[in-house]
Amino acid sequence: MIQKELKIINRLGLHARPAALIAQTAAGFTSEIELTKDNVTINAKSIMGVMMLAAEFGSSIRITTNGSDEVQAAEALEKLFSDKFNEEF
Amino acid sequence: MLVLKGIPASPGIAIGKAVLLPGQTLTVSKHYIALEAVDRELAKLEHALQKTLQELDESAVKVRETLGPEYASLMDTHKLILQDPALKGTVIQKIKQDFLTAHSAISLAVQELAANFDKIEDPFFKERRNDIYDAGKRLLANLEGNKKDFLASIKKPSLLVAHDLFPSDTIALPENQILGFCTDIGGKTSHTALLAQSLNIPAVVGLSTASKDVANGDTLIIDGENGLLVINPDRYTLANYRQIKRELKKTESLLKTINHLPVVTQDGRRVHLYVNYDPRTDNKFNKTLITDGLGLLRTEFLFMNTPVPPSEEAQYKIYLAVAKRFDMRPATIRLADLGADKMPDFPLDELDDDDNPFMGCRGVRLLLKNPDLLHTQLRAIVHTACEVPAQIKIMIPMVSSVEEVRHVRAAFNKTLEEFAKTGKKPLNKIALGAMIEVPAAAIALDGMINELDFISIGTNDLIQYLVAVDRVNPEVAHMYDPCHPAVGRTIHSIIQTAHKRNKFVSICGEIASDSKMLPLLLGWQVDGLSVTPRMYLRVKNNIRNSNFEHCCDLAQAALLMGSSAEIRALVEDNNHENS
Repeated sequence: MIQKELKIINRLGLHARPAALIAQTAAGFTSEIELTKDNVTINAKSIMGVMMLAAEFGSSIRITTNGSDEVQAAEALEKLFSDKFNEEF
Repeated sequence: MLVLKGIPASPGIAIGKAVLLPGQTLTVSKHYIALEAVDRELAKLEHALQKTLQELDESAVKVRETLGPEYASLMDTHKLILQDPALKGTVIQKIKQDFLTAHSAISLAVQELAANFDKIEDPFFKERRNDIYDAGKRLLANLEGNKKDFLASIKKPSLLVAHDLFPSDTIALPENQILGFCTDIGGKTSHTALLAQSLNIPAVVGLSTASKDVANGDTLIIDGENGLLVINPDRYTLANYRQIKRELKKTESLLKTINHLPVVTQDGRRVHLYVNYDPRTDNKFNKTLITDGLGLLRTEFLFMNTPVPPSEEAQYKIYLAVAKRFDMRPATIRLADLGADKMPDFPLDELDDDDNPFMGCRGVRLLLKNPDLLHTQLRAIVHTACEVPAQIKIMIPMVSSVEEVRHVRAAFNKTLEEFAKTGKKPLNKIALGAMIEVPAAAIALDGMINELDFISIGTNDLIQYLVAVDRVNPEVAHMYDPCHPAVGRTIHSIIQTAHKRNKFVSICGEIASDSKMLPLLLGWQVDGLSVTPRMYLRVKNNIRNSNFEHCCDLAQAALLMGSSAEIRALVEDNNHENS
């Protein structure tokens, strides 16, 4: 199991588009992937779950991956966050 | 008896039995099925889901090619929502375990999930629930593969009640069986309103709750004259409306007899009467109208519901058809008045986060900030003028300063030069004018009139800006008042300033077809009016029954009055005397 704290650094936060990217990316791995913010934990493969986190700019999110490809999954998600979900150019 | 107030979208009175268009909205009621029907409902769900996903894929491909992958991902969001186990799983569970119809199951699941978002405090994230609603509605729309069948199955003349109607629905409308329709949503220029006008049947839109208040088989009166829907009228009301309907019918047939007669007052004052034309709603009746020309072609529709701005070629095709349709008569094309309530789907500069869009970047302001948009439209218009010997007039919307006129004029001249380089030039000179709808332009018109070939007063917006009233805000809508002394004085002063330089002034906007206001407009010596095809003969008849000298007296008197009440009494008394 891998856990990482990630910060939201894109200005608009986890709105529909970044949420879609997270859900799509997460769905590409067999591991269980969860996101936690303020004691709310959701399945990262559910776009509505991700949107419901209402994670705004500056908030931090804990990702938990668990399974055979947990390392790659955590890395892929970390890259999405640090690339600001390809939102700001 | 229940009376709902909406927006009159197409005039006339229709009386008959209601049929409700089923299943477009999220329902709150639960409809149950028998155990044997579970598989059928699951199959319906799966079919609708596949169809919706396929639709989303198709539009995503289109968007990706034209705008790039960032935009296409919005389609992916809807796809993911529809495939999300949280939604799909809940729907399936509701069908299998609660024995709900697919329609009820989807509606309830969407509403439950969206309700979670209501708890979020951040307004930005709270709004995300709309993504879920939208995705749900897409799914419902495909679930009702039976909608077309339903419409086609209407065998008796009926009044159609719907939450909303789409152009695609009309293809399925049985001819002559729909006497009128009404919808919960929509405004005067919405697609539903245009639809009613093209079908030439009475319609009221924007009724908010009609589809909830009406039951199948209710007796309805659709009053397209006043924007009313009467549900289960009492005997007195019904008799009254039957009488009004008979009289309207009589007037309609009388009006047809004046079609070929000139537009002049009784004492010989010629007034130019143009038609507001929309190629999407042209019909048999409109084609029979003999008019002085096209007073206003709104071009916004070309820019809406498309992921990319329309090409020069696409616009040219439309303008060419319009120019041919009006032959040698003037054809006024208004440059796209985008912004405010007409937001295109494609991205534009300066259109983010406009908190007060009616005072924001719209009309010519938006065009000057997006020069490619302006240039393409000008090229399409000039191209048209090079092909046919039409009298094309270009109208600039939302002008507030002479600099804006100069900028557009410069872009226009540049376009003419481009065509000249390829050996092409307009067969007739193209006139360039402005829509006067911003009070600043009205007051300082003397500073820009020399640079304009003609003007048209856009009274709907001019009044709204003059009295500082948003017509859609129910708290103040009653203060939107064409009789306000400031309105008359402004219109009069615009006409005077333009006439000093021998410039032609026409009026478009609802005031032009208001029979009470007509004598004032004529008396202030307006040169032309532009009205919808449906109102054309009525206005023509009113002009032909007017006495210009009398109108001048009335109009002078109105200028001296200091309150709306006085002016309203003046025009209403005059109206009574005439009728």
